[in-house]
Amino acid sequence: MQAEPSGSAPVVVCNLTKTFLDESRGVIRAVDGISFECRESEVFGLLGANGAGKTTTLRMLSTIIAPTSGTARILGHDIVRDPAGVRRSMGFYSASTALYPRLTARETIEFFARINQYPENKVQERVDALIVRFGMTEYAGVRVEKLSTGMKQKVSIARTIAHNPLTVIFDEPTVGLDVLNAIEVQNAIQELRSDGRTIIFSTHIMSEAEKLCDRIAIVHRGRILACDTLAGLRDATGLHYLEDIFLLYVRGPA
Amino acid sequence: MNWKDIRTLYLRELRSALRERGIVVYSIIIPVVLYPLLMWLVYTAFSYANGQAAELKSHVMVRTIPDAHQALRRALQEDRAIDVDFSETPQDDIEKGNLDLIIDFVQVQDAPTLAEGNFGIRLTYDASRDESATARARVKRVIDRYRDRFIEREAEKLGISRSQLQGFRVDEINVSSNNEMGRFVLGLLLPVMLVIMLAMGAVYPAIDTTAGERENGTWETMMTSATSRKNILIAKYLYVTTMSFVAGCLNVMAMMFTMRSNLALLGGPSGLSFHVPLVSIPIIVAGAALLALFIAAGMLILASFARTFKEGQSLVSPFMIAFVLPLLFIQSPSQEFTTKVALIPVVNVAMMFRQAISGYFDWKPMAITVAMEILFVTLALKIATSLVEREDFMMDSSGGAFLRFVRRFARSESKGGGTVAG
Repeated sequence: MQAEPSGSAPVVVCNLTKTFLDESRGVIRAVDGISFECRESEVFGLLGANGAGKTTTLRMLSTIIAPTSGTARILGHDIVRDPAGVRRSMGFYSASTALYPRLTARETIEFFARINQYPENKVQERVDALIVRFGMTEYAGVRVEKLSTGMKQKVSIARTIAHNPLTVIFDEPTVGLDVLNAIEVQNAIQELRSDGRTIIFSTHIMSEAEKLCDRIAIVHRGRILACDTLAGLRDATGLHYLEDIFLLYVRGPA
Repeated sequence: MNWKDIRTLYLRELRSALRERGIVVYSIIIPVVLYPLLMWLVYTAFSYANGQAAELKSHVMVRTIPDAHQALRRALQEDRAIDVDFSETPQDDIEKGNLDLIIDFVQVQDAPTLAEGNFGIRLTYDASRDESATARARVKRVIDRYRDRFIEREAEKLGISRSQLQGFRVDEINVSSNNEMGRFVLGLLLPVMLVIMLAMGAVYPAIDTTAGERENGTWETMMTSATSRKNILIAKYLYVTTMSFVAGCLNVMAMMFTMRSNLALLGGPSGLSFHVPLVSIPIIVAGAALLALFIAAGMLILASFARTFKEGQSLVSPFMIAFVLPLLFIQSPSQEFTTKVALIPVVNVAMMFRQAISGYFDWKPMAITVAMEILFVTLALKIATSLVEREDFMMDSSGGAFLRFVRRFARSESKGGGTVAG
């Protein structure tokens, strides 16, 4: 059921596999030959239960960990051969990627723009633009540790795109957030898509996937069981709700 | 390596550090204020206690004294620190602490009787009691003065020189200047304080920049940035080294100030002079920098295994103890800076400090020291670099346990290397 990548899309993933050696369980195949591609201005969703292999896949794409086999290219940069190029071309956001508490909102965005190789002479302009865009003017000079959760979310998204990447990965970005803050994050993702960016978005929340994703890949035990638009998945299964579609693929027909 | 990235990362670390109360307290306030203050308090208390002891009178009994030497009794009575007492049972009283010392004149057997009234003196005291030992020192001082005058007088009577009468005398001349004595004292104290402060200054920043980042969740954020892990490591390393070096140097300056303004007073009229030769300063600074580099590398490696600040503290504490323990080795003033000593890390730099403070330079052990420190720093950096290249280390699959990591590392290497994670 895996979509075979054509190769010209901004994100192309080919047979990506990751195995871990666990002391008690032996070799674990966390990601098992995943392939997909993401198109321009698209939100591509990885939908799966906890432990399905979503985060491991995204960590490989963001070059935090290396694949055991297979490869992927982000805007033409190979994740194994050119990890620095990959990191320059994408932003990574997850519930576990925190901010430096003792920097101000402005310093945070500035730091990530610089460290992600944004042109030095344009850093201030970019920071100012992001502060205005995310409505952070009032607290741009306040240390992150003193900001509310919602404010921190905005700073976090701003720092993710500080270097203006064309591809952004969101790994379960709304985990632990209340409804209002989760909606803020969802709105930001939709805005980034309308900017023309490619978004890879992982979640286990069906409603989020339904609302945000142009295409959805159902991930289970390290494999993609299905990958299509919501309408395509409905047509293929004859079911309306994504939850039912998900259960059908994961558990098999009743 | 990208020095622009390293600079950006380094400045970020420093900026965060100077806004963290814990780091400012441990790396700046404590070295500059607390330890010199404690030292000042200890020495003030010490000098107060000394002053109190000086006011206590020594109770002395002159049991037997010939008529020819009654002047000695008068000299003892005139000494304001000595009370000449009488006891029926002097031996018992010494044991009970009621009496501090007994003076007996004894006839010198088989001695040439050139001088009239040639006697020996026996002092009975209890060396295990401070008061009794003090009484001995005070009485001996009076007796020495009396004896010198007696010998001179008798020699004059006989028409001979004092040395002819005395035969074998000992004269002591201390050729060291106050400045040299001051350097000797500094050489015993400062190296130890400097080494401890270099270590103290590195502890908090090393834990904060590794375990602290894991705990805050910023570790993974950094891993996704477009700079290499080596750049991140070097920036963190330079930051911890800076904090260690600054703490060490600030402490030395504060201690020097404290000693010059307070300890010199203890020297009395012939007060010690705590001046370090100018030529020694570059050596002390270079030694401190080398040691800071070594400490920072060791602490960074250990602290980076921890997931939380607390785990970081428990991993770094044994290193801190192992680091400070060898300093006991140099507490003996007779310890020399040999080529063998120059091979022992930490001790070698401390000895180099001592030698530099004394103003004497033995270049061979110093060169060995520098070479050894560079070797250790290079080795530590090699280990740190290979660690950050390991996925299991970066992703903390060892759960903050150093030994578990080593076990897993050995297992993965025996299976042909590669990364393990869980």
